[in-house]
Amino acid sequence: MAITVRIPTPLQRLTDGKADVESNAKNITELIDALEKEYPGMKERLSDGGKVRRFINIYVNDEDIRFANKENTALKDGDVISIVPAIAGGG
Amino acid sequence: MLTIQQNDLQSIFEHCNAGYPNEACGILAGRDKRVEKVYLMTNAKPGPDYYEMDPEEQFRVMRDIRDKGLAMVGMFHSHPSGHAYPSSVDVEKAYWPGTEIPNYPDAIYMIVSLVDRSKPSARGFSIEEGKVQEISLSVV
Repeated sequence: MAITVRIPTPLQRLTDGKADVESNAKNITELIDALEKEYPGMKERLSDGGKVRRFINIYVNDEDIRFANKENTALKDGDVISIVPAIAGGG
Repeated sequence: MLTIQQNDLQSIFEHCNAGYPNEACGILAGRDKRVEKVYLMTNAKPGPDYYEMDPEEQFRVMRDIRDKGLAMVGMFHSHPSGHAYPSSVDVEKAYWPGTEIPNYPDAIYMIVSLVDRSKPSARGFSIEEGKVQEISLSVV
C-alpha cells in the first residue's frame, strides 16, 4: 500500500487529468520530488526554495503540515495527502 | 447565473456587517449553480481590505460539502468600503500562485459591498485565465 495524493483541479493538467496519484515518499519533501519526477512542473507549483508555497495548504489526512513537521512531516502507507489552495483576496 | 435564496443572501449580508470594518468571507455550496448551503467563515487575517479563510476551517468545510454530495459553487467576501467588483488582489489570489490558472474553476466569486451598510449589495463574478466576467445573481 502506498500513500494517496489528491490532486486539486488546477494541477490536474500536469497529471493528465488524474485526480488521485500514488507515491511511496516518506515525507513531504520527498513527495514533492517524486511528483516532480513523474509530473514535471509540479515542484514549482507546490514549492519555492524548498518550502511549500504560501497560499498552498497541504494536509496529511486531517492535519495541516504547518502544524506538524512542515516539509519534514513523515508519511506512511495509507495516508491521504490533500493539496488545497487558500481562499483569499481583498480590495 | 447563480441562484440563491433571499434568506441565505440575508445571512451573508449580516455576516459581512458583523465583520465590519474588516472584510468577511464564506463559502457557497450547492449544485447546478444553485446555492443550497452557505458557510459563514472566519477571516483568519482580518483587515479592512483583506481576507484569508481560516485554512483548517476551509478544509473541514470542503470535506463537509463533499460528504453532503454538494459542490463548492462559489465563495463570497465583503468590500467594507468599496464597490462590488473584484480588486486586483482578488484576481491575483483566485489563481494558483505564480500562474493564471484558476484555483477553483467554475467557482463564482460573490462580492458584497457595504458602502451603504443598511443596504448591502452583492454581485457575482467568474475569474478565469485573466478574465473577470459578471455572473448574474438570481435571488429567489
